[in-house]
Amino acid sequence: MTRNDEPAGKPLTEPVLLILLSLADKPQHGYGLMKDIETLSHGRVRLSTGTLYGALRRLLEVSWIERFEQDDTSREKQAYKLTPAGRKQLRAELDRMKQLTRAAAARLKTREV
Amino acid sequence: MLPARIYRTLLRLYPNDYRALFAAEMSRAFRQAAEERRRQCGPAFVGFLLSELAGLLIGASAEWISKWTTDRSVRGRSLPDLRMLRPPGVPREVWFAGACLSAPDTSLPEELIDARNRVSLLVQRMVYAIANHDFPGARRYSNEERQARAQLRRLEERCHIEHSRD
Repeated sequence: MTRNDEPAGKPLTEPVLLILLSLADKPQHGYGLMKDIETLSHGRVRLSTGTLYGALRRLLEVSWIERFEQDDTSREKQAYKLTPAGRKQLRAELDRMKQLTRAAAARLKTREV
Repeated sequence: MLPARIYRTLLRLYPNDYRALFAAEMSRAFRQAAEERRRQCGPAFVGFLLSELAGLLIGASAEWISKWTTDRSVRGRSLPDLRMLRPPGVPREVWFAGACLSAPDTSLPEELIDARNRVSLLVQRMVYAIANHDFPGARRYSNEERQARAQLRRLEERCHIEHSRD
């Protein structure tokens, strides 16, 4: 396994995709991520702390996210942010999903006609 | 809060290096989530506790498997190598003395390099003994280290080399 390319070509798992999406616009801390993922998935996905931190560790290992200490006075000191490599992977995954959606829509259209 | 205390105890199922980095954060996130879920109805809170328990057991197993199957250098990208961390109570100067002395200067006499290595080794042993609460052992290494340092000083004087500051 080399850095930045862990699941190269492989679709991301749902928790990983949601974590990357949640970090796409701003850095978050652990509990913030849990809440945001619930909102992003309209309450469908509720990650347990064990699942969340397991996924965060794997993402740190492939350098898709970074851990840093926040300067503000909030209770949460440690936060996570997306790295350029992580953003690239997220874009690639979204492109893959778009392509799949287009293909699926085209198939459905053909069937309906 | 009892669930939080049980949760903290269950975190011991994780490997040491994982706990060193994430345990405090995980239990804080659990406490915050539990406070929120508690405000909802009873079954929702029970469901939350069960899912947390399952997540913790699965997560801990996955981390052990990962620890056994992943190369240490790869794992080091996300988790600290605990062997490299300075144990609590050990002064920075003592901890780094070993590292400073371990890069030998090949232009020096072999005898002097050996003496420096011996001091370094004894410091490391002393630190290890302190970290493991082996205080009689630490005292013994400290005495040996003092003698080795005196010997090193004599050698340095003989070779007209400035004393190492540590």
